Formats: sequence, structure tokens, C-alpha cells
Amino acid sequence: MLNEWIKELKNIDITEYTEVLKCAKKCAKYAEKEKISDLKIAVLGDYSIQFFVMVLRMLLLKYGIKACIYEGEYNGINMDVLNDDSEFYRFSPEITIILSDYRSLRELPMLLSDPEVVNSWVDNQVKNFVNLWEKIQEKLPGCYIMQANLVVPYEREIGNLEANYYFSKQNVYKLLNMELLKKHEKYVTLVDMEYLAGYVGKRNWFDDSAYMLNKLGFSIKYIGLACDIFARQIIAAKGKIKKCLVLDLDNTLWGGVVGDDGYDGIQLDPNNAIGEAYLNFQRYVLRLKNRGVILAVCSKNDMETAKEPFEKNENMLLKLDDIASFIANWEDKAGNLEKIAKELNIGIDSLVFFDDNPAEREIVKMYQPDVWVVDVPEDPAEYVKQLNMESPFEWVQITKEDISRSSSYIENKKRDALEQSFTNYDEYLKALNMKGKVKEIASSDVERFSQLINKSNQFNLRTQRYSEVAIEEFRNDLNKKVLAITLEDKFSNYGIISCIILEKQGEKCFINTWLMSCRVLKRGVEFLAFEKILEVAKQWGCSHIVGEYIPTKKNMMVKNFYQELGFVPCMEVECDCSELYSYDCNNEFEKKYFIKGE
Amino acid sequence: MDIKEVLEEIFRDVFEDESIELTEETTAEDIEDWDSLTHIQLIVDIEKKFNVKFTTQEINGLKNVGEFISLVESKLA
Repeated sequence: MLNEWIKELKNIDITEYTEVLKCAKKCAKYAEKEKISDLKIAVLGDYSIQFFVMVLRMLLLKYGIKACIYEGEYNGINMDVLNDDSEFYRFSPEITIILSDYRSLRELPMLLSDPEVVNSWVDNQVKNFVNLWEKIQEKLPGCYIMQANLVVPYEREIGNLEANYYFSKQNVYKLLNMELLKKHEKYVTLVDMEYLAGYVGKRNWFDDSAYMLNKLGFSIKYIGLACDIFARQIIAAKGKIKKCLVLDLDNTLWGGVVGDDGYDGIQLDPNNAIGEAYLNFQRYVLRLKNRGVILAVCSKNDMETAKEPFEKNENMLLKLDDIASFIANWEDKAGNLEKIAKELNIGIDSLVFFDDNPAEREIVKMYQPDVWVVDVPEDPAEYVKQLNMESPFEWVQITKEDISRSSSYIENKKRDALEQSFTNYDEYLKALNMKGKVKEIASSDVERFSQLINKSNQFNLRTQRYSEVAIEEFRNDLNKKVLAITLEDKFSNYGIISCIILEKQGEKCFINTWLMSCRVLKRGVEFLAFEKILEVAKQWGCSHIVGEYIPTKKNMMVKNFYQELGFVPCMEVECDCSELYSYDCNNEFEKKYFIKGE
Repeated sequence: MDIKEVLEEIFRDVFEDESIELTEETTAEDIEDWDSLTHIQLIVDIEKKFNVKFTTQEINGLKNVGEFISLVESKLA
């Protein structure tokens, strides 16, 4: 019953607020009955948050998370956070959402205040925010905080002059947001309510009557949009992110049909409005690629015809080298999407599908319900706006590995070509000239380390997710070792591609975490890693190494991993949901690999 | 258009109760789930359905269904 209903939720239009509210209420009833919860979230606000909590719960359910939500008292942020034995701390949430509002900040700097006075006012305000964050961090270590920034009000007492004076209300709030940006710690993610309010228009965003009557912080019309930003950031923190944009070609990347019009007949003319629209879309897509989104093509065409514009049309901004997986055939797209996911070694649920043809979109929605299908508008000039508004690529952070990711998928193709020139796999591995390094992570590696921990699904033995703060704590724990492996080869430098956390438990060395990016499968990285694990275990004076496999929907590939390494199953199985393996430290480890150390 | 009928439809929808029958005297006392939250939902739905906007005072003064009806009537007039 509930599952049926969740399926229905998938199609909800978050801008249809009456529908959103109705679904949210229904969901609240389910929540009363269902006791299971995947995640504890607290919402604290300067304004009335009942609707926010209801809608957030519903949207999280839509994304597959059953949340148990603590609803703070109206205007009770300080009460909950600063009071050591508040209801909030007893609830002990994993995520805390703080909805702040400009109306709760009184006593703005006076007109004509000096910049120093304005700055010190801003500093003081931000100190209050930082105090709250630090207090939560101290009482609930590892709690992930989502802080809404301030929506700058529409009011301008001194009119256009607001833009000209540092002390103006508009500028004071903007400075405050800027200072939040500077001061926020790693465990705090700022949520850009100011952007959303600007996007829908401030005069629509603020509903003064609803504020006076019911203390609603913003118009109920945008409750779906606002909650969705939070929900999406939460699922990203849970490792559910989109990684790849799959593009159709004809009437998506260019105007017309290349099979009919030819590579030089398609519309891509920068002097033509339609051509400019497609070029503008290509430019946006390229910027997505530069931030680490993988690009793929899925087109109903002959391969040769489909590639021609990329190779020969000089107006094309996207080149073949930008596309990590290129599929053009006459088979159905639902199946082709599976091929793309397989080729790129990513889950089908990390694909975003962009196709101008509504029939294709419907088929994909029906047969690949986990793929994000962009609601492509009819007018190509609106493509960027739509994709940007849906914003499917919400991640927790951007790292330098992201920036270089796309190119490394392209380099994979060159690697494949090299592989095919060898008949012996070992010879190929040698020819790759791989260099690897296992190191204890430095502070500067924590961000990337946490990113991998939170989004690796396939080569991941226990799938434990840890925040940056938790990882920092592990680093300082004498009974733990936090190891990262970096790899480079002839074609690319991958940076950190594997994470290991070891725990000394008396005689045992327990492998708390072992995961690896799927981009470097079958290279021998795991053997290099295990040698290091063995070394650490011996240093600790442990007699055994214990590894655990916790099965998930996605990590089947490492089901037999420990046995293949030479571990033996332990008798003491704790429950059906995991398998324990043990390795005697006196055993010689003899797997060969071709990665040079540094 | 019979405003009462349309309101009845909205009430049934919001409270998920097909048995609701409105009279001019119906108040929040008569419908169990009619709290401040559902009140907002009712207002929003009614405003949307009739494409009207109520003032703060109008919303503040609504005591029973009869007043809902006459308010909508005055807006549509």
C-alpha cells in the first residue's frame, strides 16, 4: 500500500502547491502508523515550520527515505540548541535544519553608520549562528547541519540608494550571507533560500498576510520548491546522486535531423536564433562536464551519421572527446541506458536523461523508473532554464577529482584501445606504467575521502557512511588508521581512488571500511592496498585481520572478495545480514600486481 | 455556479472525508480535523479555485461556512 503510494509520489509536481499539501498530509498519516525510520531530522525555525516538516517528510519519502522528523517550537531555535537537556538533544538527530529569517534580527545598524560599525554588527550576528553550530556539534558530534541563508527582504526604505550605501538594509543582509559563507564549518551546509526567493521573485516569495496571520516565513506556494532543495541535499549526503547526463542528438543538441539534413545541414548557426539556442544549451552542458558531470549520448541513428557533426561541423561546441559513452543505434533507449550505465560502471540510478521526444521520455520513465527524466520544454531556447531549474546534479561537495573525472572517462577509451593491442592482460597492466601510493590521509584529503565514502556503492565492503567530522575524529584516534590510495597511470592522474579505515581491536585488526572507485577496477589496486593493511596489522601486533561483507543492492561484485584474497569465513556469524572473514597475519600474501610505489 | 457545492468539494478533498455536508452554520467545531493548518489549506484552495485573493482581515474574520460563501460571492460580484 505504502509502496504503491510512493510510486504515485514520483510524478508529483512540486510547484502545484495544493497537490503538494494534500500529499504531505496523507504522508503525515502514514508516518503516524509506520514506526520504521531511516533517518532522524530536526527542523528548527524562526517561523512556523509545520508545513515545512510535512512537505519535507513527503519529498524524502518520494526519494526513498523514511524520515522521523522533530519539529521545533515556533521561534525556538535558541531554546532548543542552547538548553543542554532540551527535547531536541534528547531526540538526537543526524541532521539539523535551521530555518532563519531576517525578521528575527532586530536593531539593524543605523543609517549613515560607518563601514566598521556595519561590519561589527554583521560579525556579531554571525557569531550567534556560529555559536549555535558549535553547540550542536559539541552535543551531537557528527550531526550534519543545514543552515538556510537569509532571504534579503524586498523592503528598501531608501529606495535605489540602498545599492549605493554600505549601511543599507539590503547590503547589511547581503553582507551577513557573505559572512555565513566565510564562517561556515565543514559540517554545515548553507542552503540558498535567497537564490530560490530571487528565482521566483521576492514580491511573490514573501506573503506578508500569511506571515501576520500564521507566521509563515514565505508564501505557501513555494513550499514544494523550498523543501525540495533540502530533500535533495539530504539524499546527496546519503550518497544518492546523479552523475551522468545522457543526451539525445537530433533536436536536442542541434536543430533538425542529421540523418536527413546531413552534418552541415543541421541548425547550429550562431547567427540564427534557433542555432544560437542549441549552441547555448551545448555551452551549458560543457560547463556541467567541467564540474564533473559525465556526458553520454543515446541516439536513434547510425553510429557513423551520429558522430559526423561532432567531427565535421565546425559550429559544434561539444566534441567526441567530451562524450564518455556514445550509443547510436535503432534499439530502444531504455535498454541503451542500461548499456551506458554498464560501460561507465555507474548505477542506472545515477543517470539523467535529456531527450526532446516526449514519447522516448515516457518509455524511459516507465521502464527505467530510477533514471531522472528531464521535462524538456518544446522550445530549445528554454532547455538551459529547465535543466538548471530541475538541477539534477545536487552533490555534497566539489573536489578536484570531480573536475578531472570527465576527462578520465575519456582517457579510459584510450586505455581500452591500449588494452586491445595486448593479448596478455599482465602485459597491458605493465604498459600502463601505474604508480600508486598508500598514505595516511592529511587534513586536505578529508573532503575527497568523505566524498568517496559517501557515494561509492559497488566496490564497498561495508557501505558505512561517515561525515568529514567523523573522519577527522578517526584520524586522531590511535586505534584507527585512515588510509587513502592514489593512483596515476600513463593516461591520467586519478587522485584518491580508494579508502580504507582500520581498527585495532586487541588481537584483531578490523577492516571498518574498504572501498574503491569503479574507475580503477582490475588494476591490482586492491592487492597493493592489502599489502599495506597487512603491514599495519603486523605493526599493531595483531594476529588476525577481520573483514566484513555487508550485502546491499549494489555491492554484489565484492561478495567473494575476501575469499579471493585468501581470507577464510569466520564461524561466529553475528546475523544473516553480514559475513565475517578472517586472515592469519602469518600467511604470506602472494598476489602480484604492477603498480609501482613511490 | 453554486458556491456552496464547490466549497463542499474543496472541504471533502482537504479533509479526505466524502461524507462532509456543509451548511451555512458549519464551523471548525463541527469538523474534527479543522485546525489552523487545514484552515490555511482551505484558504489557499479556495483562492486558487475561484481565482481570488482574500485580505488579512477577511481571513481573520471567517467564522463559519456562511461567511466563506458570502466572502467568495462578494469577490466574484
